[in-house]
Amino acid sequence: MTTVALLGNPNTGKTTLFNELTDKYEYVGNWTGVTVEKKVGQIRHSDTVVVDLPGIYSLNPITKDESVVTNYLLKDKPDLILNVTNASQLKRNLLLSIEVLELGLPVIITLNMIDDLKRSGHYYNLETLSKSLGCPVKTTNARSKEGLEQLKTELIQDNVQVNANGPLKLNYPLMVSQAIRQADQALVKDYNIEPHFAHWLAIQFINQNKVVRKYAKTHQLKPLLSQQAYYDAQKFADQIFETRLSFIETTLAAATEQLQSTQHVELTSKIDKIVTHPVFGLPIFVGVFYLMFKLSFDWVGTPISTELDKLLSGPISTWATQFLTQVGALPMLRSLIVNGLIAGVGGVLVFIPQIFVLFACISILEDSGYMARAALVTDRIMEMIGLNGKAFIPLIIGFGCNVTGIMAARTIEQPKERLITTLISPFMSCSARLPIYSLFVAALFPRNQAVIVLSIYFLGIAVALLMAKFYHVLFKVKEHSVFIVELPEYHIPRLDIIWHGTWDKGKGFIKKAGTIIFAGTVLIWLLSNFGVHGYVTGINQSFAANLGKILLPIFRPMGVTTWQPISALLTGVLAKEVISSSMMVLFHTSNQAALIGVLSGSFTTLSAYALLVFILLYIPCFATIGTIKSETGSAKWAAYSVVSGLVISYGLAFLIFQIGSLLA
Amino acid sequence: MGLIVNIIIIAAIFGFAGYQIYRAIKRSRQGKCAACDYDCEVKRMADKAKKKAF
Amino acid sequence: MRKFVIQQFTGLDDSTVQRLHSLGLQTGSPFWAVRFYPFHGPVIIQADDQRIGIRYTVFHTLIGG
Repeated sequence: MTTVALLGNPNTGKTTLFNELTDKYEYVGNWTGVTVEKKVGQIRHSDTVVVDLPGIYSLNPITKDESVVTNYLLKDKPDLILNVTNASQLKRNLLLSIEVLELGLPVIITLNMIDDLKRSGHYYNLETLSKSLGCPVKTTNARSKEGLEQLKTELIQDNVQVNANGPLKLNYPLMVSQAIRQADQALVKDYNIEPHFAHWLAIQFINQNKVVRKYAKTHQLKPLLSQQAYYDAQKFADQIFETRLSFIETTLAAATEQLQSTQHVELTSKIDKIVTHPVFGLPIFVGVFYLMFKLSFDWVGTPISTELDKLLSGPISTWATQFLTQVGALPMLRSLIVNGLIAGVGGVLVFIPQIFVLFACISILEDSGYMARAALVTDRIMEMIGLNGKAFIPLIIGFGCNVTGIMAARTIEQPKERLITTLISPFMSCSARLPIYSLFVAALFPRNQAVIVLSIYFLGIAVALLMAKFYHVLFKVKEHSVFIVELPEYHIPRLDIIWHGTWDKGKGFIKKAGTIIFAGTVLIWLLSNFGVHGYVTGINQSFAANLGKILLPIFRPMGVTTWQPISALLTGVLAKEVISSSMMVLFHTSNQAALIGVLSGSFTTLSAYALLVFILLYIPCFATIGTIKSETGSAKWAAYSVVSGLVISYGLAFLIFQIGSLLA
Repeated sequence: MGLIVNIIIIAAIFGFAGYQIYRAIKRSRQGKCAACDYDCEVKRMADKAKKKAF
Repeated sequence: MRKFVIQQFTGLDDSTVQRLHSLGLQTGSPFWAVRFYPFHGPVIIQADDQRIGIRYTVFHTLIGG
């Protein structure tokens, strides 16, 4: 089995290439940090395994996700490295390529997005490039599948002949190359390190690579450690950088060819003139979101959901009841299946259209390249609260699922800023909360569904930002993350990539319906059908009712007058979707329309809004709590997120209801 | 006979539900990778490695 | 669009310098300022056919402080 590692800068189309090569799709995005862990796939009809690594600018990592790559190279030895580069930005892409080529492993470089380069009127002589870099150079365009077949054959082949000349050797200034030579000779002699690797270690160590320096410390590589102060004092790192850059400039100058036709269509600048406008940029950002919610709630999602619900509560429920009666099922079993599972789990499944439309919109934003612009236009606001625009992206991804949002926070360099982003992530309204909003807005705000839901989402953002500012002051953050965002070329979103992104995000929802939502529904059915005296006929004597009634006095100040929503909220910790299915079971309604009717009877618009705010902000679900724990490395922060969520949600819902009642 | 079938079905539903809740709580303790619903290659490989270790 | 030349990196923190270097920028590199955001918000610069957003303070340092 041979292993090929995909390595390259962010925004080079690495993940698209990975998906095309392996016939297995992975999460693709036009934003730095989409690939937060390495991913593995297999090339079809071969035993070649491809590893997709996070996009990096250099082997010297600044962020947590970037260190994944350097650690991978230190620990594993792939049989071949496929260095994916963005053809139109070869100059800086080659800075990374040099670092990789110096390692001495077989490397193939591919100039990806080659059509962008052609459009700009340049081309490179591949042979010249290949000669001076000492490795094969290919061209591809992953999005249009150009050059992929050749690349695939190349990868499956035996790669022994690839750069047989050994690692790339640059002519570093005399002092530097002397230092490298001395160090690598000592490493080979005294530590029995393989020569190519020793050479690379020496260069990386001198170049102040943090991970390599740590590696040297743990392995007690004295030849390097003893010289560290000298290397730094002589500014060898700067000299290495300059040597590399001038090598690249010479190489590119020799290889550049002008193309005749230069029909330069500047699609990207045209779009950017509008969406990154200094004044209109922010309103456009809000507008994009408004459009997203309009699509999910008013135009596409809700109408389909309503049809599904009719099908579920009508023919399917009737048929199930008849069938169960015929086969002689106990009344209890019938109630469990029809009123519990079909109404509850089905009641959540009917939201698939809304959730998928929302995910499709997020996927389009990711794939098109808009996310980077969103980071830019929101940066000034984020700066005020002590974060930067890049922290906005994990938050937006959190709209899909807080777990992935928290994972995406790994792209933030500064540990304290990352912690803050992690802590505020649960306030982002994830898609699991959508069904319950949908029910309430349909019941109490039928005319303004999209606006009300949008306001909940923005309230979540507002609370998150305020809390971020609070933590910023509390943690006394002094250092700041680097705010440098690349604005990639826009892509016309490709349908299959959008579909894959949507499916990847959405399939978890469907899977949850069969597992945890199912379980939560059974649990709430049990609680609502059993009481202290066993099986009860009236729900008012059930455990669920007892529990809800005990807690009712606490919830009364925020406008809740019945016990059912309270019991439903408790099960919502399993997964937020369970709130909807629990309501269905607890109110003994068999379909959405009936539940909407009950809700509009037992809530006022004010108390409904207060409850929605509470649902938005209260305890994160189990999966999120677990992720907070593992990403912060402490159970304290996980516990803290539970407590802070409860306090904030209760306080805010209380205020909204009380102040609202005074005004009314 | 009918009663037994009924009880078996009920037991199966409750058993499965109980197992899922147990798993959700256990998974949340393990954190990020296990909590993620996406069954990716890395996870499968990690699981395989774990099984081998036993 | 106004053209500038990078005068210096002094005064920027190591990570910022490293990232700017990784993007192929060094002292003497020419670049264009494409867009300024209000209230000293970020600046979009263009160098070597790529567009990058940076903070105003970084921009200010690069053009000589």
